[in-house]
Amino acid sequence: MINQTAIITGASEGLGKSFAIELASRQINLVLVSLPSSGLPELASFIRKNFEVKVNYLEIDLTLAESYPAIFNYLSDEQITAHLLINNAGLGNWSWFEDLNIGFYKKQIELNVITPVLLTRLFLAQTDTSATSYILNVGSLGGLFVVPKKQVYGATKSFIRYFTKCLQLELHGSNVKISLLSPGGINTKPELLVMNNKLKGISKATIMEPGHVARIAVDGLLKGKKEIIPGMINRMLVLLNSLLPDSVKEIIIRQRLATIIKS
Amino acid sequence: MKVLVTGATGFIGRQLSLDLAMQGYDVKALCRNTDHPYLIKHKNIEPVTGNILYRQSLGRAIQGCRQVYHTAAMAKMWCRNPDDYHETNVIGTRNVLEIAANAGVQKIVYTSTCGVWGPTVKHPMSENDPRIAGFPMAYERTKYLAELEVQNFSKQGIHIVTVNPSRVYGEGPVTESNTVGKMVSAYLRGKWRFIPGSGEQVANYAFLNDVVNGHIAAMEKGRSGERYILGGEDISFNDFFNVIHEVSGKEHRLIHLPLKAIEFFSHFEKIKTMLTGLPPFFLPEFAERLKYDQKYSSNKAITQLGYRITPFTEGMHRTINYLKQA
Repeated sequence: MINQTAIITGASEGLGKSFAIELASRQINLVLVSLPSSGLPELASFIRKNFEVKVNYLEIDLTLAESYPAIFNYLSDEQITAHLLINNAGLGNWSWFEDLNIGFYKKQIELNVITPVLLTRLFLAQTDTSATSYILNVGSLGGLFVVPKKQVYGATKSFIRYFTKCLQLELHGSNVKISLLSPGGINTKPELLVMNNKLKGISKATIMEPGHVARIAVDGLLKGKKEIIPGMINRMLVLLNSLLPDSVKEIIIRQRLATIIKS
Repeated sequence: MKVLVTGATGFIGRQLSLDLAMQGYDVKALCRNTDHPYLIKHKNIEPVTGNILYRQSLGRAIQGCRQVYHTAAMAKMWCRNPDDYHETNVIGTRNVLEIAANAGVQKIVYTSTCGVWGPTVKHPMSENDPRIAGFPMAYERTKYLAELEVQNFSKQGIHIVTVNPSRVYGEGPVTESNTVGKMVSAYLRGKWRFIPGSGEQVANYAFLNDVVNGHIAAMEKGRSGERYILGGEDISFNDFFNVIHEVSGKEHRLIHLPLKAIEFFSHFEKIKTMLTGLPPFFLPEFAERLKYDQKYSSNKAITQLGYRITPFTEGMHRTINYLKQA
């Protein structure tokens, strides 16, 4: 069998880098996409050397409209058919709505919503229908729970949840498998870890290592799981969420909000 | 010439202070306690009481120094207060760099670690390779964050060179962060009884004298803003204990402990520490690391700094002789 190829967006660091390593260790060729000067050439050469797979990379800004067709034009020029698409690139925040400017939110919505939708559309147009293709959309548990200070981020992840669930219905019976990954907190950029370090109790117990999340996610994706929730505590939270009445959930969130305002 | 060494009672810092003193430098040896038993007495070493977290004490210590070796760090496996790693390694480093820059210090060498790369896959890692895992260990995470501080200062035009030693062993006291020294001395006393898993996992062992020479060469020849791996040979656990056995002549039967058992034990230890506050013997993040190799290439330091690697057997010979006399 010829090797499959995966496109990974936001591949230079955090969960994206872990996806690259995880897929390469399964002998899947890679097309890495990330911003310029984010270390892609070094990552690509490291993976080629250590895993002996083909690695191509594109240093582009995924918030620019011309970037979407550029990826697939590049693939057809290189005569590469992609079998997997990992829609991983995203922009998070943890701040009050009025604390960030409109430029940030525009970029966040472009990267978290427009990019995965358009890439999925273009990816489906080039798939080899005789083989199984896979799409993994990185959502968040934040797409399920209402979390204060995550207003726009959570909303973009809710969009991804709806979009993915709907495509699963539309593509049912086809040769395309599409999974939603709903992780809780992940120890990604160490610059952010200073904050994760301060978390206590349940919030701390839900934080996972990126390599672990990537391994669970790729396993689930290749098995065709509809939704992948890494971590037992996270799965329990989701179960609890579906059992509790809305009024109780609101009380919990308000209490949480009160502690956030105090801190 | 006057030079400051921070962490002068540490495994690397104390030997570095001595070597510099013997080469004729006037060494100001920064330590929190100048009565510390590991502080070396020499006519060219002036002990200075200070703490990299107290900026005033740093300012006093750094006066008149043209060069700074910043080796001080929190390198223990576990701290009761987990914020200590960030305080000492990140904020402490920022303090040293800021105060050195203001005091007109000409050159700084910062002691980082190969832990900023951590696990490796097939080939040894070199300076431009990416880190492939997350940062579950506080030591590695905070040393990485400290390197970001160093990069910021270097971009502002301050001459600063980073050195990244691997797992350092050699003729020095068995300090709390001297992991290899602990293993060797336990083996010699017949107290080390196991090899993790198959024992085929490889790590890189750097001989203390090589690392100290590498620091001094980095000060002389290192390019500002660059990093240099100061390592040694890549050796598996099996070979590590075979060499100790051959060199010391002492044979102790070692049991191969399955990694699953170590992992289980580490979770138990973590819970024990959470409940009792007692120091753990081992933690899950360390058990996880036992699954990987940690191979590093010192080629850049060899070609650019003239770094030299003492063969592992020879280095271990000297280490064991030292530990037997101590």
